[in-house]
Amino acid sequence: MSVEEQIKEIIARIVHVDKSALTREGTFKDLKADSLDVVQAMVAVEETFDIEIPDEEAQKFQNFGDFVDYVERRVAEKEKV
Amino acid sequence: MSLEGKLALVTGSGRGIGRAIALKLASQGVDIVVNFFRRREAAEKTAKDIEAMGVKTELIRANVGDPAKIDEMFDTIANKFGHLDILINNAASGVGRSVLDVDVKAWEWTMNANARASLLCAQRASKLMEGRGGKIVNISSLGSYFVLPTYAVVGVSKAALEALTRYLAIELAPKGICVNAVAASAVETEALKFYIKEGLIQDTRQATPAGRMVIPEDVAKVVAFLCSEEAFMIRGQTIIVDGGTSIALPVILRGGQQ
Repeated sequence: MSVEEQIKEIIARIVHVDKSALTREGTFKDLKADSLDVVQAMVAVEETFDIEIPDEEAQKFQNFGDFVDYVERRVAEKEKV
Repeated sequence: MSLEGKLALVTGSGRGIGRAIALKLASQGVDIVVNFFRRREAAEKTAKDIEAMGVKTELIRANVGDPAKIDEMFDTIANKFGHLDILINNAASGVGRSVLDVDVKAWEWTMNANARASLLCAQRASKLMEGRGGKIVNISSLGSYFVLPTYAVVGVSKAALEALTRYLAIELAPKGICVNAVAASAVETEALKFYIKEGLIQDTRQATPAGRMVIPEDVAKVVAFLCSEEAFMIRGQTIIVDGGTSIALPVILRGGQQ
């Protein structure tokens, strides 16, 4: 499964929405997710991919597309090491 | 009250009250394990500032709401240092909701981070304190007793933490470990802006008999005292640091006007 698909599954599970509701342009706000949902989604993604997403970085994400791109980049960096 | 050469773990010490406690203890010669969760940059800065004081520091990322992460953190401390003298359960998290809006997820997240984490950290820490006469200080808040807007689940978790402080104090006393808590009123930190609106912060400032709001360093000084031998006979207490706010009736503070 691609990074994007895995992230979609995690967010859908935590925010209780259908995976099909998640698009690259979408945001947590669109899904009416609260701050706890956001933190829990971040933590679940971190654990799934064994990476760290500091709040300083997370705050820069404009939408899920940015989130996915960031995680893909970090996963690729990790594989290089 | 020298604490020279001791080793302390301060959970959530990247920012705010935890950072102030870490710096205060470091200024007294204590080596510090800086624990953080979400803000790496801030934690790295705290660690750097601690090192500049000439003591050792170790940075450990761990979500204390997760028991497995607590275990990993203590395994690291055990392997690296083999002992611990001081544990400050400061890390806290919470969901700001009124009591009727608290759901299971918000309850568990908050209780696990604020109450369960302190229990699990104390259990692991007590083993590393064996034969050393350790100190444990839990950081509470006035919301454990007083009702604050949208503070329900955090207040309940802090009440649990204060009760835990008393049980730990008695049950760890035979091991020579002193356990106490410090409860502050609203402290001027970044986290405060998350919980209460600026208007209310202004009101709190004006309503504090001591003439200003509590700052992180006020809490840190009391914590450092509780970590010293001077405080040896204080056990299981929650020391309130609030500039007098909690014992002064608002009506009196406003000059008797309704």
